[in-house]
Amino acid sequence: MKNYIILIIAFFAVSAVFAQPKTGSLLIKNGTILTITKGTLENTDVLIENGKITKIGKNLTAPRGIEIVDATGQFVMPGIIDAHSHQGIAATNEGTNPITPEVFIGDALDPVDIGLYRALAGGCTSSHAMHGSANVIGGECETIKHRWGTMNPQDIVMEGAPRTIKFALGENPMRSHGEGSGKVPSTRMGVEFVIREAFTNAQKYMAAWDKYNKEKATNPTAVAPTYNRRMETLADILKGNIIIHCHSYRADEIYMLLNVCKDFGVKKLVFQHTNEGFKVAPELAAFGAGASVFADWWAYKFEVYYSTAYNAAILTKNGVVTSINSDDANLIRHLNHEAAKTQRYGGLSDDEALALITINPAKQLGVADRIGSIEVGKDGDIAIFNKHPLSVYSVVQKSIIEGIVYFDIAKSADDARVSVNPEEALPAFSMESSHHSEFDSCMKDMFDYLFGGKE
Amino acid sequence: MKHIAKIFLTICLLISTLLANAQVVGKSSRGTFALTNATIVTVTKGTVQGTLLIQDGKIAGIGTNVNVPAGATRIDCSGKFIYPGFIDGGTQLGLNEVGSVSLTQDFNEIGDFTPQMQALTAVNPNASAIPVTRVEGVTTVLTQPSGGVFPGTAALINLVGYTPDQMYAGFKGLILNFPEVRRRPFGNDTRTDEDLKKEEEKLIKQLNEIWDQGALYAKIKADGGQTEYNPEMEVVSAVVKGDMTLLLEVNRNNAIESAIKWVQDRKIKKVVFTGVAEGWRVADKIAAANIPVITGPVIALPTRESDRYDKAYANAGLMQKAGVKVALRTNDNENVRNLPFNAGYAVAYGMDKDAALKAVTITSAEIFGVDKTLGSLEVGKSATLFVSTGDPFETKTKITNLFIDGWNVPLESRHTQLYEEFLDRKPGLNKGK
Amino acid sequence: MKYHLLLIAMLFSAVATTFGQFGQTPAPAEIVTSPVTRTIALKNANIIPSPGQMIEKGIVVIKDGLILAVGKDVKIPIDAKVIDADSMYVYAGFIDGMSHVGIPAPQNNQGQGGFGAQAQRPQTQAQPQIDRGNPPNEAAGILPERSVETVIKMDDKSVADMRKLGFTAAHIVPRGNMLPGKGAIVLLNEKSPYLRKDASFFSQLQGSGRMYPSTVIAVMSKYRELYKQAEQAKTHEAMFAKNPKGMERPNYSPTLQAFYPVIDKKQTVFFNAEDVLSIYRVFTLQKDLGFSMVLANVKQGWEHADAIKTKGIPVILSLDLPEEPKTSENAQANASGRTPGRLVADRNEQPNAEDAKKEEPKEKVANDPEKEKLEARRKEEMKKYLAQAGVFESKGIEFGLATTDADSKNIHANLRKMIENGLTEKAALAALTTTPAKMLGLSDVLGTIEQGKIGNLVVTSKPYFDEKAKVKYVFVDGQMFEYEDEPAAPANRGRRPTGGGTN
Repeated sequence: MKNYIILIIAFFAVSAVFAQPKTGSLLIKNGTILTITKGTLENTDVLIENGKITKIGKNLTAPRGIEIVDATGQFVMPGIIDAHSHQGIAATNEGTNPITPEVFIGDALDPVDIGLYRALAGGCTSSHAMHGSANVIGGECETIKHRWGTMNPQDIVMEGAPRTIKFALGENPMRSHGEGSGKVPSTRMGVEFVIREAFTNAQKYMAAWDKYNKEKATNPTAVAPTYNRRMETLADILKGNIIIHCHSYRADEIYMLLNVCKDFGVKKLVFQHTNEGFKVAPELAAFGAGASVFADWWAYKFEVYYSTAYNAAILTKNGVVTSINSDDANLIRHLNHEAAKTQRYGGLSDDEALALITINPAKQLGVADRIGSIEVGKDGDIAIFNKHPLSVYSVVQKSIIEGIVYFDIAKSADDARVSVNPEEALPAFSMESSHHSEFDSCMKDMFDYLFGGKE
Repeated sequence: MKHIAKIFLTICLLISTLLANAQVVGKSSRGTFALTNATIVTVTKGTVQGTLLIQDGKIAGIGTNVNVPAGATRIDCSGKFIYPGFIDGGTQLGLNEVGSVSLTQDFNEIGDFTPQMQALTAVNPNASAIPVTRVEGVTTVLTQPSGGVFPGTAALINLVGYTPDQMYAGFKGLILNFPEVRRRPFGNDTRTDEDLKKEEEKLIKQLNEIWDQGALYAKIKADGGQTEYNPEMEVVSAVVKGDMTLLLEVNRNNAIESAIKWVQDRKIKKVVFTGVAEGWRVADKIAAANIPVITGPVIALPTRESDRYDKAYANAGLMQKAGVKVALRTNDNENVRNLPFNAGYAVAYGMDKDAALKAVTITSAEIFGVDKTLGSLEVGKSATLFVSTGDPFETKTKITNLFIDGWNVPLESRHTQLYEEFLDRKPGLNKGK
Repeated sequence: MKYHLLLIAMLFSAVATTFGQFGQTPAPAEIVTSPVTRTIALKNANIIPSPGQMIEKGIVVIKDGLILAVGKDVKIPIDAKVIDADSMYVYAGFIDGMSHVGIPAPQNNQGQGGFGAQAQRPQTQAQPQIDRGNPPNEAAGILPERSVETVIKMDDKSVADMRKLGFTAAHIVPRGNMLPGKGAIVLLNEKSPYLRKDASFFSQLQGSGRMYPSTVIAVMSKYRELYKQAEQAKTHEAMFAKNPKGMERPNYSPTLQAFYPVIDKKQTVFFNAEDVLSIYRVFTLQKDLGFSMVLANVKQGWEHADAIKTKGIPVILSLDLPEEPKTSENAQANASGRTPGRLVADRNEQPNAEDAKKEEPKEKVANDPEKEKLEARRKEEMKKYLAQAGVFESKGIEFGLATTDADSKNIHANLRKMIENGLTEKAALAALTTTPAKMLGLSDVLGTIEQGKIGNLVVTSKPYFDEKAKVKYVFVDGQMFEYEDEPAAPANRGRRPTGGGTN
């Protein structure tokens, strides 16, 4: 009996420490369902039970006690996914070294960042919280769900999402290290070398461990190679355990990384920004690499001067799995509008345009089996709009993650902060430029780091 | 036979090359154009069906009873809409080529007090962003210097022409970044509210001294006296006299209130508030002061973490509903083309659709004093307009024809050219095929 | 302020030299004599031997630095200096659970000796030869092998300031970044008698700014790497000691060796974790690596109270509390209160008094519902910080208190704020005495007034947590420090208390 009680206590103790994020159940009634993968269903219901979509159909009856969301006249789409964001993190760049794969953005999650709530209010329920682009090989990233209202970083993690890592080519690493510290790389030649050298060192590291593991049983003098987290992560990339998400702009550098990855047998590769991806679209498609792009950002620095807002359309028409991302606290709130721009610039269909912010980023993050479309068995992550989400006039009504409503326009408090500063009633005034100026958000932390005394 | 085939192929290639070149190097043209069967949204005189006639660079007729002269180029606009060209009330267009390359940037001169710096001088008529902007229906923009307290003189330009003078659209205004003292967001800024107020008062005092000097300069000139060479005061005095508009940039609520008080104290005759990001907090006061506002970008973040997520979207509408005369701007450079979407967002979050349309057309024209030529479709006004497939605020709508200052402008830009070149790239994946 | 020194002559001259070096001005004519006796008796005192207990009109006797006796019917030895502590309150000397006392804060642009300063990230004119991506450990703030003793300056003003508040012992940790060095238990008298060196393994999530690791993500990674490398190295050293023939020689890295007692759970990691998110991060590291830990300098930890209780992790709360914002009302309150407010000074400077009048009502009339709401939220949040200690107490979590970030001027007031917001006086006293003693393994020698324990006492005019309580005497290791009341009126400010050592 005593043991039994101890067991119960132990159980509660464990569940308190490793609490699973909450899930909920609800029935969305009578909406226009934009499933993305299975067409548009008029006057249809979606049932979510314990976080998962269990039924899609007309006139579903709600299990007892389940909350009903009336979506009559409204548009129901999968929660928007942003494949490139820096919201909800307390550190972006460990910009001291050109290679820092050992750092992990998941260690710096900040679930009280108001940016997450604002993203939710734009229908964005998941994002890829990325390391910055100061380093050629940056840190590991974290795929998160915007479960607002918690202070526990673990609550916003998307459990089970594959590991991803940030790489960066071109001006940013060249500026941070070549210009900033006078070390390689200061050219795109140097960028290639840095990656090839790192991968080669990782191969050596793996070989040393293989040798040790073989010998240790029989040779009492065998000494383990020194544990090196940088090499551990690089080795995991070479083993195919991590998806590379590479900040890149110019066609030549994109092509370079395709070649490097071919040489080292790396297959999981997504390019971020990819402003000149349209120039090497056939090569990207042939490799099977993804491209995550801006709808219309260009000219904020030289490597994006020869860009076109038709990029996503060209990539899509060439068969490249393409997404539209934000990389920005403002853009993440209206990715539906960004996706709609591909209809103006390139005439994509509604499904093609919406795929750019749902199933395609899900594929790029390796989570397409869980999110990115409205299908039975998938997570109940939903955004409900009053008008078609590709219309400029559409406004998000509700954002739902695994059956729980995290944003409801009717209930949204003016002041949605989870945590407030006890020393200041009215938060500081701040205005950020609406467009990219000089640096992209990927270089967050770095401006101060390079040019000013950041505390 | 083989030979003939070769010649034929060569000729074909030559023709296609010529055609391709003709496409790439599109030129604007003038003439008489009849845009027929259109839905004409005049903005000021309702929406009418029929024909819009362009002659000698001006709108020569609107409606069902328009006489189309022989030889006019007819453009069938069935199912399409004609709107006056959109006006962006604040941009850097023509002054900033590449964001991170400072030697391509001409908007920020050294010094805090440089009112004599003329944006119009530095406008690059061939900036790559200009065609990118106009092909989306934004035909006219205020382009402005920035930085410091008096960064210089802004100019209204039409997005067609090869010299600044060809582009000049008839308005210049002096920019003043109104002093806004605020705590640094990070670090230990221990200044009390009173400290901040003191600092602000000091800055306003400085401003008043400049104003007094401007008045003195104007008085000496008016009395026929001789002044020292003072290009700064030459400009300031024009504003003091009321010959030039003051474009007063102010965003924080307290600063807006201070600015209203200052404008009233100094009896500034022609003044527009720009930015006004927290206008919604003091909308009644702006309306009562009867000061027009150019606000934007609409698609922006709230200014404070405690603000409702949609406050920036709603700001223009809240001011409009409070009775403020509101025009819109993007405050952008390479993406001024998003002006219609900014107007769309203002509508989605509460602004009257009619007011939003005016905020990018006639209201801006009125604020800039160019409403006799721009801002609406009326006979006698400049033929600065576009034809669209639908509601121009709507994202997927396409622009099909564009006229600026009477010029029929080809719908080409770097973005369309790269699209044409790379949609079906040659050579493709394999070099030989 | 004045204190009588119980110093042997030799030590005095050493201290005097140090004062001279630092250019501070000591009392001009301070006469110090050798002690006549090392036995002191406090009589007729209200003695609180441990939290919740009270001996009225009792006697405490200290002899040769130790508590000889405590109680109602204690015989006062003949060689004792007797202090009539009538109506005074006697507590066990306070223990500062984690502290930077005696470690001068680094000054900008100055080398300021001691690795407290050195371990800070390098100055802006960074040495160009250092590779920021791979800096030497010293520049990176990774110095776990160093002992804090090497940088403590017992003549630093902070020591006297803390002692005057009743702190008699402190767990001192170095300043710096990720791993600034090991902590020590120190008694707060001039002699710097270390009670225990290398008492803790002090860790922070603080990056070095411009050197690797510069951010929290790199610190977390580096921590994991060093820990695992230390485990490897330790194994390697053991293997090599047993069977060196044919085996690669170990590196014997002092940095990694510093981790060995932690790996063996012989040394506790004191992890600086102020805010709610840092605490989560520290928990993650602790879960991954499995070291024994004290969560230290906690300011925003109430969210974690249940987890802390479940995990049984000892906690040291911060004595630093957030401050009320500097609003106009606040400044006015100050103006009418003890300290002449800045506002008043400014007003006096104003040439036009009418302007000032005009502004005033405007502020007050402004009846802004938005501001009121935000202010209400702020106050609610403030309350959480103030109530944290009380919340921990109500959940049955014992905690110590840390002065690392606290200004000594605010500490007494902050303790009172904690009490006003739910902490009992008994728990507050425990947090200053018995709990840190237990946490630091010092219960045999410190924390209560018991025979045989070290002669550390605090004697106050009223119960310590009373607003008007004044510290009259502090005993550290049997050494007496006497405090006269502060001059009441600013008119007396120029007067320097004088007096010779009596004993």
